[in-house]
Amino acid sequence: MGFLITTIIFFLAGFVASCLALICCNRGPSTNLFHVTLVITATICCWMMWAIVYLAQMKPLINPILSGE
Amino acid sequence: MASGGGGCLPAMDLMRSEPMQLLQVIIPTESAHLAVSYLGDLGLIQFKDLNADKSPFQRTYAAQIKRCGEMARKLRFFKEQMSKAGIQISPVQLTETPLDFDDMEIKLGELEAELTEVNANDEKLQRTYNELLEYSTVLQKAGEFFYSAQRSAAAQQREMETSQSGDISLESPLLEQDMFTDASKQVKLGSLSGLVPKEKAMAFERILFRATRGNILLRQESVDEPVTDPQSGEKVSKNTFVIFYSGERAKAKILKICDAFRANRYPFPEDLGKQMHTVQEVSGKISELKATIDMGLAHRDSILKTIALEYEHWNHLAKKEKSIYHTLNMLSVDVTKKCLVGEGWSPVFATSQVQDALQRATLESKSQVGSIFQVLNTKESPPTYFQTNKFTSAFQEIVDAYGVAKYQEANPGVFTVITFPFLFAVMFGDWGHGICILLATLYLIIREKKFASQKLGDIMEMMFGGRYIIMMMALFSIYTGLIYNEFFSVPFELFAKSAYACRDPSCGDATTEGLVKIRPTYPFGVDPVWHGSRSELPFLNSLKMKMSILLGVAQMNLGIMMSYFNAKFFRNSVNVWYQFVPQLIFLNSLFGYLSMLIIIKWCTGSKADLYHVMIYMFLSPTDELGENELFPGQKTVQLVLLLLALVSVPWMLIPKPFFLKMEHERRHQGHQYAMLEGADESVVAELGEHHEESNHHEEFEFSEIFVHQLIHTIEFVLGAVSNTASYLRLWALSLAHSELSTVFYDKVLLLTLGYNNLFILAIGVFVFICATVGVLLVMETLSAFLHALRLHWVEFQNKFYEGDGYKFAPFSFALITEEEE
Repeated sequence: MGFLITTIIFFLAGFVASCLALICCNRGPSTNLFHVTLVITATICCWMMWAIVYLAQMKPLINPILSGE
Repeated sequence: MASGGGGCLPAMDLMRSEPMQLLQVIIPTESAHLAVSYLGDLGLIQFKDLNADKSPFQRTYAAQIKRCGEMARKLRFFKEQMSKAGIQISPVQLTETPLDFDDMEIKLGELEAELTEVNANDEKLQRTYNELLEYSTVLQKAGEFFYSAQRSAAAQQREMETSQSGDISLESPLLEQDMFTDASKQVKLGSLSGLVPKEKAMAFERILFRATRGNILLRQESVDEPVTDPQSGEKVSKNTFVIFYSGERAKAKILKICDAFRANRYPFPEDLGKQMHTVQEVSGKISELKATIDMGLAHRDSILKTIALEYEHWNHLAKKEKSIYHTLNMLSVDVTKKCLVGEGWSPVFATSQVQDALQRATLESKSQVGSIFQVLNTKESPPTYFQTNKFTSAFQEIVDAYGVAKYQEANPGVFTVITFPFLFAVMFGDWGHGICILLATLYLIIREKKFASQKLGDIMEMMFGGRYIIMMMALFSIYTGLIYNEFFSVPFELFAKSAYACRDPSCGDATTEGLVKIRPTYPFGVDPVWHGSRSELPFLNSLKMKMSILLGVAQMNLGIMMSYFNAKFFRNSVNVWYQFVPQLIFLNSLFGYLSMLIIIKWCTGSKADLYHVMIYMFLSPTDELGENELFPGQKTVQLVLLLLALVSVPWMLIPKPFFLKMEHERRHQGHQYAMLEGADESVVAELGEHHEESNHHEEFEFSEIFVHQLIHTIEFVLGAVSNTASYLRLWALSLAHSELSTVFYDKVLLLTLGYNNLFILAIGVFVFICATVGVLLVMETLSAFLHALRLHWVEFQNKFYEGDGYKFAPFSFALITEEEE
């Protein structure tokens, strides 16, 4: 799975979660906007974390050297 | 101000505090009490004290408050009595019978009088009873003493008779001749008996001896069981004493000394027959009194039990009444004394509810005149009121602990709900630990109703209050734990096989040259192969350090964006153009650029030294980058960025004070005629901030505003550097956490596993669990929590948050009962 595909999965998950938040607890436009903001923030945070770790391992400058035991 | 919906955004819950209005209500005196009571039930209006200049005694309802205080005192008395008698207060009944204030007062008074009378009687009886008990012990002990004395005297007599016939032995008393010959001259000896506290017995004896020059005989014997002292009603261990003396003067002295030592005296009949009679009499009285006392106690208990049933109800009502009168005291009395005028803040959405409550009060009190309700215009800043639920309230409290938002200011709480637990989890990434915390907090959440109703300890209360924060923290910890690939520090190949393998089948150089990457990158999180390898630390350090900077720059940019929303909301274009834009440019031309370099370096696998690039961007921006070049044209880009950063500093500093000055002058000139339409509203407001209340003749302190702006600018420029560095704590704490859990796992669990001994293993498991819970789950959680708190309060909120508002504190009965508990 490449970077793009997983990214798309992340944002699809975020989109689905937003929709669920809209459908499952629909409490007026301002509350819905708040819920969607929360979902989007959480998605972006999670995605950033994953993306950073993934990118850092894409072209490694150091290799794992096993400890000699 | 603040009339335009949500600025550039549609309205969002929690983003802005509720729009408030200053209300004026004029209530006829006869319906005032009921109206205020209904408003208290509603709990959405914060009354202003219109009688601030009056002392509590000068206010209209001072007498009623005194009555409430008196009732509270009576209730406290009942409570004390109940706890003394060990009677539990029954919880509030749901079927609250409507109870009149006056009726309750009378009832409380009656009950109190009855209770005090019962108590006084009981006390009197108890004292007599204790005295009788003491008397009976004295009788018993002294009787024993007399009996043994008589016996020894008789024995002596007999001995004397036998020895008289023989030789005078050495032991025979020298004065014996006189003693027996002068029997006629013998003075009649008096005796006194009683009880003295044990600790005073020695002193008592000594003083008696000195005062009478040794002319007394004192016999003491300790009573085995402590005796209840009639005066104090306390258990004291005492000695019985019998004193023999001669002469009236000695008696007077002894009596005085007895009084001074609080030694209770009791008459002791010397005659044996009388003694027996007295003993019988006393024991008869004792049993009689005992029955009386028991009956009295039963009566008191029944009174207290009826009180216990109603106590909560009364207590609630008394507090409610007191708060109603307090509120009524804040209203000012109209000149005609026929109505009360009140002012208070209320959210705009509550308008109809407030009106409805007033109307109901008018109807139910059958008042001839209705209440008058109107909205006042004011320049005062309204209180800040966020409508939170049980989930968001704890997060909002985190923000409020730093400072309550200015009225309608953008609320960092919106993002804190997610970013706070997220940053916590970056420092606390371990899905094993995350699951432990999640289970603990789920227990709290599932039994929420039970816990909410009972009283908890300080620490437990805090945990319970923050249960949803802890839940979010645990969820994010599980996620970041999966990213870090740590389960109690153990990695798992959950998502794919490791991307690395030996160079050759023999795997000879795996410990010297290292493995090579043969498969595509590990799809989710850190490759498990790194764990325990020799290059683990260099790799993780570089990764986590860069991650901290990326996350930090992202969050600081979010903060600056919030300042844009604020400027837009308050229609303050000066802040947009001379604060938001240069700030954004400054931060991103330095640290945004650094973030970009980090990403480019990862994507290209370049070996460029980023420290070198960043440092020489300032020291010698025109030098060639050489091998450190990450992309073509980097030098030009850097020059442009550096220039932008340099320009943005004076851009932040200089124009804003001049714009404020211009605005001030424009306003000052045009004031005689009319306010200029379209004038920048919040600029006007900001002008007002600097010299409040000086109305139209204020002078514009340009230097003050300039210095203010200078401080702001310096703070931002230096802050951009120090705040970015501050985010490195994410790296440090996450490193500390993973190292600690590795140590516990390797050095405790694996080490003891190596012994192949069940007992040692059991100890190892025990130590491992203690260390994990005590150090990692409790202490590490606290420290990561505090660091996440700091990152939000300082690094994130100082970009936009003023936090100088004051909290909406409505008059509400629900809050009153909460406070008391």
